[in-house]
Amino acid sequence: MKFLALIFKSARRSKRRTALTALSVAIAVFLFASLRAVLDGFNAGAAGSSSTRIITIRSTSLIFAMPSSHANAIRGVDGVRDLSWANWFGGIYKDPQNFFAQFAVDAESYLRLYPEILLTPDEKQAFLDDRTGCVVGDGLARTYGFKVGDRIVLQVGIPIYGTQDFTFTVRGIYRAGGTAVDNQSMMFHWKYADERAIEKGQIGWFVEEIDNPDRSAAIALAIDEKFTNTPYETKTNTEQQFMASFASMFGNLNLLLGSIAFAVVVTTLFVAANTMAMSVRERTTEIAVMRTLGFPSQTIFFFIAGEGMLISLLGGVLGAGLAVLLVNGERLGITGGFVPAFGVSPRNALTGLAISAGIGLVAGLVPATLASRLKIVDALRRVA
Amino acid sequence: MGLIAGYNLRSMLVRKGTAAMTSLGIAMVVAVFVMTLSIAQGFRATLVASGSPDNVIVMRKGATSENVSAIAKPQLALIESFPQVLSDSSRRPLVSPELVVIISLPRIGDGQPANVPLRAVGPRAFDVRENLSIVEGRRFEPGTREINVGRLAVGRFAGLGIGSEVKFGSAVWTVVGVFEADDASFESEVWGDIDLMLPAFQRNEYQSLTAKLTDASAFESLAAAIDADPRLQLTVRRERDYYAEQSQTMTTIIRVFGTFVTLILSVGAMFGAMNTMYAAVAYRTREVGTLRALGFSRSRIVVAFLVESVALSLLGGIIGCVLALPVHGLSTGTTNMASFSEVAFKFRITPALMVAGLVFSALMGAAGGLLPALRAARIPVARALREI
Repeated sequence: MKFLALIFKSARRSKRRTALTALSVAIAVFLFASLRAVLDGFNAGAAGSSSTRIITIRSTSLIFAMPSSHANAIRGVDGVRDLSWANWFGGIYKDPQNFFAQFAVDAESYLRLYPEILLTPDEKQAFLDDRTGCVVGDGLARTYGFKVGDRIVLQVGIPIYGTQDFTFTVRGIYRAGGTAVDNQSMMFHWKYADERAIEKGQIGWFVEEIDNPDRSAAIALAIDEKFTNTPYETKTNTEQQFMASFASMFGNLNLLLGSIAFAVVVTTLFVAANTMAMSVRERTTEIAVMRTLGFPSQTIFFFIAGEGMLISLLGGVLGAGLAVLLVNGERLGITGGFVPAFGVSPRNALTGLAISAGIGLVAGLVPATLASRLKIVDALRRVA
Repeated sequence: MGLIAGYNLRSMLVRKGTAAMTSLGIAMVVAVFVMTLSIAQGFRATLVASGSPDNVIVMRKGATSENVSAIAKPQLALIESFPQVLSDSSRRPLVSPELVVIISLPRIGDGQPANVPLRAVGPRAFDVRENLSIVEGRRFEPGTREINVGRLAVGRFAGLGIGSEVKFGSAVWTVVGVFEADDASFESEVWGDIDLMLPAFQRNEYQSLTAKLTDASAFESLAAAIDADPRLQLTVRRERDYYAEQSQTMTTIIRVFGTFVTLILSVGAMFGAMNTMYAAVAYRTREVGTLRALGFSRSRIVVAFLVESVALSLLGGIIGCVLALPVHGLSTGTTNMASFSEVAFKFRITPALMVAGLVFSALMGAAGGLLPALRAARIPVARALREI
């Protein structure tokens, strides 16, 4: 520790070089933490999903509907405690570019099954009382400036609803109390949509609450067996699997973002190691003098390695700090549609810091070893 | 000019280690740049290849994609009767009525269910899409529950080999052939007879009609004729335009993301180049002084150091392109945002993309070398010569 002052002193020797190196580490940590945050955002839906909710869709695919008569059959399955259902609506708000998710839900049971949808009691009552009412997420409300009482006109164009306009009144703005619910969606009454649908009684998916998460696989199987060999066979999955299939729509995100993060770290490693090597080369004579004065070679080693670590950590703190302050999908206005909400969490920032420490360690290793092994005589004889 | 630039390039060799490290840093940035953009290139190329210049796609008025379109069965005959539509040797018009639905099949590898597009087509579909050819087995026989599978779909989804039975839409279908389509998105699809698929999926309308024109220039007159016919509330678009538009959302996301990441990363690598160049200038203070004393102007010195920095970065750029090359041709999949189904595509590194990577690296070198070069030029001659 007594060498700390010395390390600081030599880091200040070439201020410009130290600053440039620290900045490039900062950029790497910034990128790394942001990429992790985006990835976490995509995975959050699956990670935060409830283990007591399972979801039934048509075995062919989510886009096919099934008759509402399935509801009674599912209620009869042992272990199913509660049930709700929803439809994907696919409406267009003013312009096809304005994409956001809209769900026609059986409001009362849906809010019961998803306590993560946070509404004030007044808003909830107003929504339940208004046949044409809807609730929107606070993120969505910010994006489009929706306020309670506003009218939203959606133009639909999917087979079961034909081509027509639907008008809704905003009765509440909900907050998302967990990652299973996103705050960029709009929900309204399934009954209202169904009244005006061309094919009546169509349901996209059922959500079931089960009494025992350990039996989810058995209960799912029991539900699917009810409909085997009917025209509307089903596939029941845990909410987690259901969410994971959405995240995988983009392809192998883990691999793509992972390899970019890897490239980021390697690039920075090159830059940092290069700088440390340069600064040691410049100081060859100085180090020889220190050795002559009696500093043991281990001390020289820690001295150089410590300097690399110091510069790198400096950059790490800067980069992680900036990432926490700046990177927030919602504030940047890129969340919405298929992009989930994301922000740099303290964990992402800490991982970034650890990466910077790693870079500092590895970058300082070779130059420090070389410096500690210097032959005093050769080094003193060398010019420049 | 040649002399002094040569001097700088040779000095680069003197400091091999440092030069190599700097180049490698830049190489990584260029590799990331080229790889991410090759995804966008590949995805776009796949969808654009799906459209043939003399094919048109007919959909309901106002429909932005096939899934939201619907065409009543009697309208097929009306479209077939237009003189702009090409007929084959036995005078049958080349029009294919189609329906695209999504079925769920387990992905090979992780076994996760994926959305696979299933295209129900008319008997003339293989003649309308000329780039399609059967590579294994045979075409499905109209009127039977036989299906053909795209080459890339066979590799991505389980249970699609020839002879396998696939269950969807309340029936069992048998795979009898595998087709390829010049890397077009059709290669990710499953094809079957529309007359059997409509009842299997409880539909009674087509989604779209794809027709081959007598000539690409017949498009305008066909569009006008359809517009003028009050029985047809339909729009017609060139197939190529339609598919190019489908790729828009995804390509934009990838481009924006790729550019954002590489720009930030390039700043980091530029700092590295700057460090190297500052050190190079400091080492050679006396040499620079000598050059100035011999009469080389300040601007010559600036140019010379810039050349060194750009050369260093270009070297990195070349290495980066080489590092990225192995991904060319690798196939992967992502979701077509317009149809919610998976499209397999290949990473595609074009010469233009590599040139862009090299230009990018040269710019990094120029930006990183500018300040150090200016510093070199400002060194006072007398003091520089006195320095050891």
